[in-house]
Amino acid sequence: MTARSRSLSVVYLMVALLIAVSMFPFLWMLVSSFKRLNELYTVPPTWIPETATWSNYLNVLLESNVPRYFLNSLVISAGSTAIALVLAILASYGFARFRFRGKSLSISLIIVGQLLPTAAIIVPLYVVLNYLGLLNTYLGLILAYLILTLPLSVFMLISYFKGIPVELEEAAIVDGASRLGVLLRITLPLSLPGVVAVVVYAFVTTWNEFIFALCFAMDSSTKTLPIGLAEFTTEFHTDWGAVMAASVIMTVPIAILFLAMQRLFVGGLTAGATKG
Amino acid sequence: MRIPKRFQGIMFVLPALFVLAMLVFYPIVYTVVLSVTDPAGNYVGLENFRSMIDARLTARAFWNTLIYVGFSIIFQVLIGTAVGILLNNEFWGRGAVRALIVVPWVIPGIVAATTWAWMFHTEFGIINYMAQSAHVIDQPVGWLTNPDTVLPALITVNVWKMFPFVAIMVLAGLQAIPNDLYEAARIDGARKHHEILYVTLPHLRPVLMSITLLLAIWGLNAITIIYAMTKGGPANRSLITPIQIFRHAFEFFRFNEAAALSVMFFGATALLMTLYIRIYAEKD
Repeated sequence: MTARSRSLSVVYLMVALLIAVSMFPFLWMLVSSFKRLNELYTVPPTWIPETATWSNYLNVLLESNVPRYFLNSLVISAGSTAIALVLAILASYGFARFRFRGKSLSISLIIVGQLLPTAAIIVPLYVVLNYLGLLNTYLGLILAYLILTLPLSVFMLISYFKGIPVELEEAAIVDGASRLGVLLRITLPLSLPGVVAVVVYAFVTTWNEFIFALCFAMDSSTKTLPIGLAEFTTEFHTDWGAVMAASVIMTVPIAILFLAMQRLFVGGLTAGATKG
Repeated sequence: MRIPKRFQGIMFVLPALFVLAMLVFYPIVYTVVLSVTDPAGNYVGLENFRSMIDARLTARAFWNTLIYVGFSIIFQVLIGTAVGILLNNEFWGRGAVRALIVVPWVIPGIVAATTWAWMFHTEFGIINYMAQSAHVIDQPVGWLTNPDTVLPALITVNVWKMFPFVAIMVLAGLQAIPNDLYEAARIDGARKHHEILYVTLPHLRPVLMSITLLLAIWGLNAITIIYAMTKGGPANRSLITPIQIFRHAFEFFRFNEAAALSVMFFGATALLMTLYIRIYAEKD
């Protein structure tokens, strides 16, 4: 064996180990979701369900609140993503193309927003939302989620806008277009990959969020999917089959969305987070 | 009507700043107000701070937070960097592997928490079964109920979930290193581990610095995994400060004390933030 092929087989061995460690929990989740209760509670555990069943999935989809929570999650994530996108496009364009007084202060404020520990603002946010009558409403969570999505969206788009040649815009400005018109007709269409990355990032973040949802949505008309998953676990009993089925249901859309968009998403995120 | 040129930039930025101010800065100010008043709104000075500092739980939670975040970061960065370097090799199926390993990072924290809770199950968990089959342990271990294993178990879950982020960032950093540097090193007779030690790692340092700080801040934020798996138990052995704040406010409804704790917690994280902004500004 030559040195080169030996080092290549070491690489393959380590990659196999990496895949095993990363993927095993998903495999086990999938296997468990098709087991009946008595098979879940057997020692030694079986690697392939002996009597595979859809009953856990039917239980989650028909007997629980999960479908309603799915709808809630969809409305809240879409709403928050849309608002974050509009605000982030405007702000990033301002930061990328203009010099103005207080610019570096404004950027610092947005970084603080990004880095702020959510735990430190749960309490006041609860009080404020309560005062505004926004607890247990879609709007309340949509607004709260802007804290999570807006800052990083701004940074991702700044680096994207900076990569687009100013000369393209200048020609249009000479022709009498307004800056907003230039942004909407020239810069934005060219930045479509960046915009998609922001949309995916914001949607996934809000879709996954747990603590704000736990604190600000206590009613089943506004609870989101992550809360629904937690509800299968009570202090005395956990329906593991249902939990695993619900986990699969929550993982699949996110995994597909991500795998479909991963090139854009990872590229945009590395640009936004390290300002590469 | 045309807006004067020097106001154009600020006009674009203003809506986002306004929203963030309402959602972030107003609550921060409000937390400070809450922390020095009683439930009726009377000024009580530092009374809330004193009662939180005196509570033995606060020190315990602070210590747990340090251990949880500290060890998580160490392993996330070590494993993530190693994986990033591994994925920078050329091999068949690299694109697919790179896409797959990121999945743990993008799934909801609650899914990771419940799946691992099932794997860590004392009687029927696959981890106890495999460890017993391999004769690593002879009795089933109550990973999440034993005070000595609960934090390591939670750190494992956190590392599993976050190392892909480090790996992807490191990989991006690696691909920015010019190839001639490696060639020059090879001409000078450098072996593979020399290359990693003297070319790769020094170039990764700035990336690793900002990743570490981001991980620290996210780690300090992370409630989901611990809350869903142990709620801070057993006997508060996995209780971290964010969960203590949450429980004070939403289980005991002592908002003012919770606010005092938030202010202290915010002060500690502000230190990290300043550091991060410094580094960020330097790169600009």
